[in-house]
Amino acid sequence: MEGIVVQGLRKQFDPPRGPVAADDLSFDIREGEIFSLLGPNGAGKTTTISMLSCLLRPDVGDARVGGFSVTREPGKVKELIGVVPQDVALYEDLTGRENLLFWGRMYGLKGPRLTQRVDEVLELIGLVDRQKDRLGKYSGGMKRRVNIGAALLHNPRFLYLDEPTVGIDPQSRRSILDGVKDFKAAGVTVLYTTHYMEEAQELSDRIGILDKGKMIALGTKDELVHLVGEHTRIEVTLDREAQSLAAQWRDLPRVLDVSEPEDGRLWLLAEDANTLMPRLFEGARAAGARITEINLAEPNLETVFLHLTGRALRD
Amino acid sequence: MRRVWDIAMKELLQNRRDWLAPLFTLVLPAVFTAFLGLLIPSADEGESRLPLALADADGSPAAVRLVEGLRETPLLRLEPMTASEVDGAVQDQKVAAALIIPEGFGAAVEAGQPAALTFVGVQTSSGAQSVRQAVWSVLSGFNTATLAAKAAAGQVAAETGRPLDDTLLGSARSLVEASLAAPAATVRVTDARGSATLDAGSFDQSSTGSLVNWVFFSLLGVTANTVWERSRGLLRRMTAAGVRGSQIIGGKMLAMVILSFVQQLLLVLLGQFAFGVDYFSSPVALLVTMVSISMLAAAFGLLITSLFRSEQAVIATIIITALLLAALGGAWFPLEITGAGFSRVAHVLPSAWLMDSLHGITLQAWGVGDILRPMAVVWMWVVGLLAIAVWRFRPD
Repeated sequence: MEGIVVQGLRKQFDPPRGPVAADDLSFDIREGEIFSLLGPNGAGKTTTISMLSCLLRPDVGDARVGGFSVTREPGKVKELIGVVPQDVALYEDLTGRENLLFWGRMYGLKGPRLTQRVDEVLELIGLVDRQKDRLGKYSGGMKRRVNIGAALLHNPRFLYLDEPTVGIDPQSRRSILDGVKDFKAAGVTVLYTTHYMEEAQELSDRIGILDKGKMIALGTKDELVHLVGEHTRIEVTLDREAQSLAAQWRDLPRVLDVSEPEDGRLWLLAEDANTLMPRLFEGARAAGARITEINLAEPNLETVFLHLTGRALRD
Repeated sequence: MRRVWDIAMKELLQNRRDWLAPLFTLVLPAVFTAFLGLLIPSADEGESRLPLALADADGSPAAVRLVEGLRETPLLRLEPMTASEVDGAVQDQKVAAALIIPEGFGAAVEAGQPAALTFVGVQTSSGAQSVRQAVWSVLSGFNTATLAAKAAAGQVAAETGRPLDDTLLGSARSLVEASLAAPAATVRVTDARGSATLDAGSFDQSSTGSLVNWVFFSLLGVTANTVWERSRGLLRRMTAAGVRGSQIIGGKMLAMVILSFVQQLLLVLLGQFAFGVDYFSSPVALLVTMVSISMLAAAFGLLITSLFRSEQAVIATIIITALLLAALGGAWFPLEITGAGFSRVAHVLPSAWLMDSLHGITLQAWGVGDILRPMAVVWMWVVGLLAIAVWRFRPD
């Protein structure tokens, strides 16, 4: 069965001078996989999800979801997808169960089928015991779970989750990530957006890295890391601020990039860490500084983003 | 249609859980109806009569007849006191004026001699002038009856040779009073349509006015909630679930119509059974008017939610709109007491036509045919407001 095929999507807000939130995006999401869109805030993740949800019409291009066009057959597409918005979009003065009943009705469910699905979803999100409490009394994590549950009521083939773990405690975050894996196990195709590299790494079959509306890399985690080559990220903590040291290190051979120092901390992207390390200590000593901590990190998605954009994901 | 109903039911559930909703929907309107009803004097209440101090120093049958005539005057409320007390009562404004019937008044009247009464009042007081007019009117009738009876008795005595005694005078007086009770020429007074509120009871105005004044306040919950839903992405989420914009609008509209109609129904029942307002002379006309009020309020509510993005702006706009429409449309006071120019301008507003219809139903037993014209104006407003609201409505 066909998953999601995106062809040349473009969206500019307030043209002609406004920001281009999606710039000629083309990618595909296979049926049954977890596909993550990774990128910093403002990269265009929410805009892309909005276009794939038929909430925002692209200026150019089209996408097919389950074989239906988002521009020409939005009604068909909406029947196939469940959308979990970035912010909790629920009613605080209704109970958890009432919220699910309402959203189930919005998805066209009714009668015994509605009741059955609400019971199943409450079980799935682990809130059977709290179903009669008003949402205003729930913790942030519980609200997030209901927020996700509301998108599952109609058994969607495709589930879009737009940064669902922002601002919640680690326990709830773990619960959501495990839940996403369960959705995949149940055959649901998941489109997951995040700016947390760790989440994308843990969850995804494939990852698309977005920056300023452009898809700058796409592939499995291993394929993406391979783009960086044998680079190592060296994180250095000094006993004082060292602007001049950072500039000096930038000129060292095999150093690809050095971040701006902040509170005595900075990182370097280097090709051969073993050769480089003694030089770093020498340079610090010559500059009258002392390295108090040094860490070597294998290449990861953060390194990839850094390599491709020269900026950290959270910049 | 099912989604429209589901959205409306969700709104009603949220409204039921809002503790402020019953306050604005029923409690405050009921309190204001009672308060304004008690504040506005009614045409048929005794307290609205002007107090006249009456000192009868004579006590003769003629004086008693005059006092009876004064007592039957709708404008006056008699307060008997002695001649020495009347000056102080007038000066202290305990009474609007005073009338002294001197000793010997009856004897002078019987003898055909001039009999002078003493009227005490502040010349510049409009109340005193009104009382004087009423006293003069009663005196005129009294003089007419007395002189006519005397003339008739004299004629009978002359023609039949009967003595002109008290018996004959009494018979003649009875005959004259009976004739005056059914005068040959009368003036028939009719109300010009639309001016009925001049004779309205106090609650006729306050109760009908509350229907128009408070209907917008019943929609505060739904309108503020709609803006909140938009800002929190709930309307957008509905759209992502496949709910059409027209279904969202329909659900909101249905909830507003139900809420405002229930409010009106409660106020109508309160007015009918607690304050004696005659709402049910034509139930169909009343129903049409109530539905029109609800539709107008809902259309205004939708328009405001379409135009404004913050809850504070929506609440402020609804309150200002409600107060302006009520005040200028005659919900606070009858437009008939304003100038013709003001009334004409006020009838640009739908609230003025709604008040016309409500006053017509409660005071003049208007039927469906009578309310067609005002309701046509109201529905033009409804259609116009709805068209703009739908055009401007955005889920995000």
